Amino acid sequence: MNGIITPLYAFFVEKLPYVTIFVFLIGTALRLNRWLSAPKDPHGGRLDLVAGLKYIILDVVFFRKTFKTDKMTWLTLFLFHVGAGGILFGHMRGFKLWTAEMFSPLGPWLAEFMVHTLPVYIGWMFIATQVILLIRRGVLERQQLQSLPNDYVALLLLLITTILGQGMRIFPPEAIPTETYSVVFIPRLIVLHLEKVPSFHWFFLHILFTQLFVMYIPFSKLVHIVSGVITPAFYGSRRKEYDL
Amino acid sequence: MTSRDRDEAKEALRKFTRRQLMELDTCAHCALCTEKCPTYAESQVPNYAPGVRSSKTVRLYNKQFDLRARLLGSRPITEEDVADLADSAFNCTLCGRCMETCPFGFQTHELWVRVREVIRDLGGTPSKVLMLEEMLEESQNPYGLEPDMRLDWADYTDLEEIPEKDQADIAYFVGCTTAFKGANHEVAFAIASILNKLKENWTLLGEDEWCCGSPLLLAGDEHGVKKFAEHNVEALKSRGVKTVITGCAGCFRVFKWEYPKLLGYKPDFEVVHAVEFLRDKLASGELNPDPAKERVGYHDPCELARLGGVIDAPREALKYLASDYVELPESGMDVRCCGGGGLLQAVNNDLRMAIVNRRLGQARELGVEILTSGCPSCKLAFADGVRESDIEIEVLDVMELAARQLGLL
Ligand code: SF4
Ligand code: SF4
Repeated sequence: MNGIITPLYAFFVEKLPYVTIFVFLIGTALRLNRWLSAPKDPHGGRLDLVAGLKYIILDVVFFRKTFKTDKMTWLTLFLFHVGAGGILFGHMRGFKLWTAEMFSPLGPWLAEFMVHTLPVYIGWMFIATQVILLIRRGVLERQQLQSLPNDYVALLLLLITTILGQGMRIFPPEAIPTETYSVVFIPRLIVLHLEKVPSFHWFFLHILFTQLFVMYIPFSKLVHIVSGVITPAFYGSRRKEYDL
Repeated sequence: MTSRDRDEAKEALRKFTRRQLMELDTCAHCALCTEKCPTYAESQVPNYAPGVRSSKTVRLYNKQFDLRARLLGSRPITEEDVADLADSAFNCTLCGRCMETCPFGFQTHELWVRVREVIRDLGGTPSKVLMLEEMLEESQNPYGLEPDMRLDWADYTDLEEIPEKDQADIAYFVGCTTAFKGANHEVAFAIASILNKLKENWTLLGEDEWCCGSPLLLAGDEHGVKKFAEHNVEALKSRGVKTVITGCAGCFRVFKWEYPKLLGYKPDFEVVHAVEFLRDKLASGELNPDPAKERVGYHDPCELARLGGVIDAPREALKYLASDYVELPESGMDVRCCGGGGLLQAVNNDLRMAIVNRRLGQARELGVEILTSGCPSCKLAFADGVRESDIEIEVLDVMELAARQLGLL
């Protein structure tokens, strides 16, 4: 590493993660404060765990309602979330939460497919679904919906991050060392282990945008990553209460 | 905007509860609810789309409470802001169908009522809705009619036994739209006749019956409705009533689901919709009607089905009442509103009629000859729709059909 790479490495990898965590935590605290300073529902709104779980599975995992409303959007949303989950899962290997050996029982061909080939397809699928969602939003804008700026910013940030991540996969790495390469974001806490050393340009931009995305979560509708599980649980509880 | 105005705006916006604020912040403005929304579907006006209402509400909230407002001071909420949100919020039948479509399951009925409440505090309630409130205040019904006209339906329909007892097991709560609207008088007659036929120990409340308060709730005046709830519950308690029967979906929902919340306790009587009572009596063999030969369809009133929890009972009752029953499309939990709810008639009757005609068209396509429902507002809406169009469908309440097939009507 030399030239511009060294200072970039120092900033994106060694400094920015602290800023990211700080901004994320502050944003989460502000969001929680916004919600918790609103009055509690004076009329209860009790949570029924079984009914809540049932509708989390039906409506969050399988998008039951979207399936009933619009099959194409259901397919897009479903594949988008499968893509998001798949990519998140893939990244966990880099953080040593699982290893490629996990797939060994499937045989060499299938294991190779699961660990190296499938993620590339999932990356393309994830990008494609985001583009479709972006186009859909643009087409329906001012006709059926009125987006807040953060609706676009969140989607664009994710799209850029994903394209950069996919770029890392498809552009040739600059070197392939025999040993695993480690990127230490926060010593002993967040350490990424790479099999290959990716193209630095794609890699640095990818980690920059990933961190911008993470920082943005609590300030945007991306809060639905958490709240979007809570509200269907209340919906399920209501159905139970009304015996529906 | 003076600092007093700003304080009032803050106070108004603070009415959103934690869950509602979470819902507003979670809304992805995805428009999945839009096409299913009856007011948007018939008008194509973007401002009526539920997701647009959610965006506008959050923008208003953020003017007072977002990070920028905290750091640099709140931005003014203008009259135009409030009028624009009111235009959206009152062009809604409060049917709750958006809840059934929203992937996040937002409880939109309550959310949109809260938006109306906030608009009320910000001085944006449409004048026609305010007039309803005044009439309710003066005459305890939303039509501004004299309370002693509440039992006129019994005279008009020649009901022979009109019980007004001091003590009874069952009270029939007629409801304003049944008692005061001529098109619904036979619904009251049908329910009363069935109760008489069964020799139930039942009573009417007569002038002691006040509006259930539903129009006030729909207008966003939760505070005002409490007086109505207290009065009606007291009138029922003093008569030792064990079961309240109503044929109105709105009264049913308010009695069953809203009164316990408003009063802070569950009144000591059971609340039953007339179709549930009818279903039980048919199933037990106490009533034996001749099934109608015509093709019969049933429209679920939103306040009875999706918002009230009664979906199977009318269908089970209709098995005994009709030999050729057809299920309408978009029914049950997913019912397409008839347009009769949410005070839309007061605000935008043309839109209400467009929604009615869509639903009537669905019934016509199935060859329905008798369209039934379990709500006087639905019946009025369909009757208005039939009158204004060339659709030849007879509109009846399930209870009227029952009384007819029992030879009582
Ligand atoms: S409650 Fe009904 S009319 Fe109102 S926004 Fe939702 S779907 Fe539309
Ligand atoms: S479906 Fe739900 S999340 Fe989507 S715009 Fe409608 S209310 Fe918002």
